[in-house]
Amino acid sequence: MGKLFKSPWLEVNVMLLVLIISYVALSLFTFGAETQPGEMSGGAIWGWLFGFFFLSFAIALVAVIGGIGGGVLFTPFMLAFTPVDSLIVRATGLIVAMFSGLVSTGPFMKGGLANLRICIFCAAAYGVGAFAGAQGAIYVAQHLGETGEGLVRLALGLILCSLAVYFLVGGKKIEWPEVKKVDGFTKWLKLSQPYYEVSLKKVIDYPLTRAGWVIVAIIGVGLLSGFFGLGAGWAIVPAQNVIMAVPLKVAAANSGVLLGMGDCIGVWPYLLMGAIIPVFAAPWLVGQVLGGLLGALILIRVKAGFVRFLLIGFMFFACFGLLTKGLGMLGVIGPVPVWLNGLVFLVIFAGVTRSIIKFTRSES
Amino acid sequence: MSAPETPKMPRAQIVYGAIVYWITIISCLICMVGPVISVASPDNNVLNPYKLFNAIFQGKDAQTVWQEVGGQFPGGHFYLKHFTYGDGFTQFGLALGCSVALWALIVAAFAYISDKIYLYVILSLWVSGLVALSMIGIVGMH
Repeated sequence: MGKLFKSPWLEVNVMLLVLIISYVALSLFTFGAETQPGEMSGGAIWGWLFGFFFLSFAIALVAVIGGIGGGVLFTPFMLAFTPVDSLIVRATGLIVAMFSGLVSTGPFMKGGLANLRICIFCAAAYGVGAFAGAQGAIYVAQHLGETGEGLVRLALGLILCSLAVYFLVGGKKIEWPEVKKVDGFTKWLKLSQPYYEVSLKKVIDYPLTRAGWVIVAIIGVGLLSGFFGLGAGWAIVPAQNVIMAVPLKVAAANSGVLLGMGDCIGVWPYLLMGAIIPVFAAPWLVGQVLGGLLGALILIRVKAGFVRFLLIGFMFFACFGLLTKGLGMLGVIGPVPVWLNGLVFLVIFAGVTRSIIKFTRSES
Repeated sequence: MSAPETPKMPRAQIVYGAIVYWITIISCLICMVGPVISVASPDNNVLNPYKLFNAIFQGKDAQTVWQEVGGQFPGGHFYLKHFTYGDGFTQFGLALGCSVALWALIVAAFAYISDKIYLYVILSLWVSGLVALSMIGIVGMH
């Protein structure tokens, strides 16, 4: 009982209490509200606000279990299956990616798994990329109209497809990279910082290398993240791990911290031009923070590797939706019939089920 | 690869983590309460929430949404003038969360100064400067 009144449970409980009171109050105000023609009914508003929170909360929870960032799921799905304007979706997507990173920052910093020096060093480059990417997104939205909307969806569909394949194959990652030679620039930066590795029950000190090349890679990652409103953990982790030889767990922890830090730069162009609409974005933010905290406290020890296959399946399905919607907006194809969407969903999830069965057998 | 003693985390890292954590939670609490104020008093908003959601789900772009529902976009920092409005208060929560790295990095820079690690003082101030410039909108292209 006592632990419920100590950090981090104390703040989680306060947030849960405020959340429940807020949604009860929202239902009291909205369900009795009289609306004019051209306005949405109170019940529908409550439904959307709760639905957004619930979806964001669920995304944050499965992201913790599946090891795939929330931003990668949010933006493609909203763009593929809702009529909401792409700039509003991408701006809100950046909020989702950013707050899933911010909420993990405290525990990773305190525990020492993340390395603030590496994060600041990378954020100096990531922020420039994310800012330029956000500016590019606004430029495309203001000058290319419907064609731009279609092209953005097509490009994101192709990126998402490559990502899903990358997640499926696993990519080239090394748990404990070996460094044969430390270059002078990396040595001068003094980026290494020993930490206590719980799984090995010993302190790990890791040498690093090629810090200069990481800057180039991270600027590119920032550009993509800022333009498409995607989380970029999928690229930041291998960039640190493969190029700079950061141990895999440290790179993963750093990526959350870096997203939170760097997107503080990338998100402002969207805020300043009105693409982030407060009452629309707020429930997504709340879901990420609460879901991320609860997920880290309760579910982090749950061994459910199969969730990863589900998420990859959803990514492939969102990819199909993005490509068809993009081609439709460009006038290349007509509207996709519901039966075809259903068929593609069935085919993808037959493959997912097969992979889960295979995975479960290999685990047992 | 291994060292004998459990390392002590640098002060800058601890303060950065703590500031980001608590400001994120405060920002989250504000974003829970903001929409309630917004629907409780629809006229006390820049954007009437009942009209807003209709416009968003009609696929209208951000500029049109602000134009049609709120008259015009009052600027990203409109919470400064409309703090007691439902959406003004919510925007304040968003802005607070979206600027968290600025506040945390400034304090981290002071911690690096006291530890005499000057390279990271400069890098911390560089990143916080980028956040500040981005917040002000000085380096915007449009």
